[in-house]
Amino acid sequence: MTPPTQMSLPRRPFDRSIALMRFIVVLLFVLTLYGFTALETGGVNMADAWSMLADNAATLFFRPALANVTVSELLVSLGVTIGLGFLTTVFGAVIGFGLALASALNIAPVWLSVLVKGFTAIVRAIPTVLWVLIFAVSAGLGSVAAVLGMTFHSAGYLIKAYAESFEDVDAGSIEALRAGGADWWHIVGQVVTPSAMPALISWTFLRFEINFSTAIAMGAAAGAGGIGFDMFMASGFYLNIREMGAFTYAILIFAVIMELIATRLQTRQTHR
Amino acid sequence: MPVLHVENVRKSYGGSSFALDGVSFSIEKGEFVAIIGPSGAGKSTLLRCINRLIAVTSGTVSVDGTDVTKVSNSGLRILRRTVGMIFQHYNLVNRLTVIENVLHGRLGYKSSLSGTFGLFSHAEKMRAYELLQAVGLSEQIYQRCGQLSGGQKQRVGIARALIQDPTLMLCDEPIASLDPNAAKIVMDTLRDINQRLGITVVANLHQVHAAREYAHRIIGVNAGKVVFDGPPSLLTLEIIQQIYGSEAQDLMLAEGELHA
Repeated sequence: MTPPTQMSLPRRPFDRSIALMRFIVVLLFVLTLYGFTALETGGVNMADAWSMLADNAATLFFRPALANVTVSELLVSLGVTIGLGFLTTVFGAVIGFGLALASALNIAPVWLSVLVKGFTAIVRAIPTVLWVLIFAVSAGLGSVAAVLGMTFHSAGYLIKAYAESFEDVDAGSIEALRAGGADWWHIVGQVVTPSAMPALISWTFLRFEINFSTAIAMGAAAGAGGIGFDMFMASGFYLNIREMGAFTYAILIFAVIMELIATRLQTRQTHR
Repeated sequence: MPVLHVENVRKSYGGSSFALDGVSFSIEKGEFVAIIGPSGAGKSTLLRCINRLIAVTSGTVSVDGTDVTKVSNSGLRILRRTVGMIFQHYNLVNRLTVIENVLHGRLGYKSSLSGTFGLFSHAEKMRAYELLQAVGLSEQIYQRCGQLSGGQKQRVGIARALIQDPTLMLCDEPIASLDPNAAKIVMDTLRDINQRLGITVVANLHQVHAAREYAHRIIGVNAGKVVFDGPPSLLTLEIIQQIYGSEAQDLMLAEGELHA
């Protein structure tokens, strides 16, 4: 073996994309710093404002208390919001499953797949809140518009997610069943669905989380009721930060429980 | 009447070259035929043209007197259930149990509704269990296929093909992903179903020694053409070189090691 003649690393050749990326990061950093100095604060004393913010946050998180609703009313409200999230996820999942079968390229004809994928791309491009407002035109602002709008966007989202899960199914096992004389429904029921099941479950849970938080926002924004509406009343109408805190904790506890269930379900699915 | 008759079959995937370029042969009932040839010679395409997983460009393929290339969709289902097939990568549904995978072989006989939801009769389940016993997997029937070894998976594949009650069995590189031990078990099983059940076996093999040992007849394919068709005894070194072309050297070395 000959000893190395050069001890230093050769220079890395100039890479335009990396250089551009660095330039953009530095530029954004400089702009952010400039933004702080140029901030128009009006008559607000920034030091006072920060301490008040800390004060309010402390009240919100450390001194939660109910005032205008009882515990049972809180639970009912939470139930309404969960219900809204759950219902729209179930509707979205059923529609999503059906149309995903029509758009997964390994089991659907290309023309149908392109048609469905194009349509769902448009549905997803419009945010959930806008769908709710669109349906509010005919259904009026309220729970009906919220259910319709959220279902629409959930379906669009789940069609894409499910279809991609279907497309990941091993082409060989589909071929094996076709070779044995299985028809299209057999392949869907016996290969595609069981193989994609863990992915379907995790996508559905993820969408339920999204729908739950959207349902909170819709409670206030679209008057769909539930804990979102109660929060809106507590903050905007009664100006009661402590009650806001109680609602926040109720939502947080439910989110944590849901997360635990999702994790358990997923580990069970992958380990079976 | 031959079980399988292939006449002047050509297959092109577009472009000017042919994956299969005028292939003809006939296989009688009860034969064990090995198709050998280098990678990319068209062996897999040829096998898939027999049950129309791939449509031929021209020529005819007939199985038990039925022209595969012209049969209707419902006729194709009926034809496919009499042709069993096993694969190099087993092609099982790994998340389902062994017996569920074997029962998939019955789908050609099931209505859409009962097949989709996996509603099989007691008789069908008993038959699946018997076949699993026959291939030595009676202990594993409720295990998930993903947990099995390669050799076990291939035996599940064989049971899935046998439950179709096939007259013809197509094997696409059945032992290419297996260690020598598991490969021997699989090949012995194939010989057994050929001899005891009288099922005609057509197997793509990359290993010349396995073809020599198990097949009654060897068909050598190179660049989409049949270049040899005869009993193993006529397969001389020169002919192997002719079939495998530039790959022959590596193959000889591997063979030499095996027999050493």
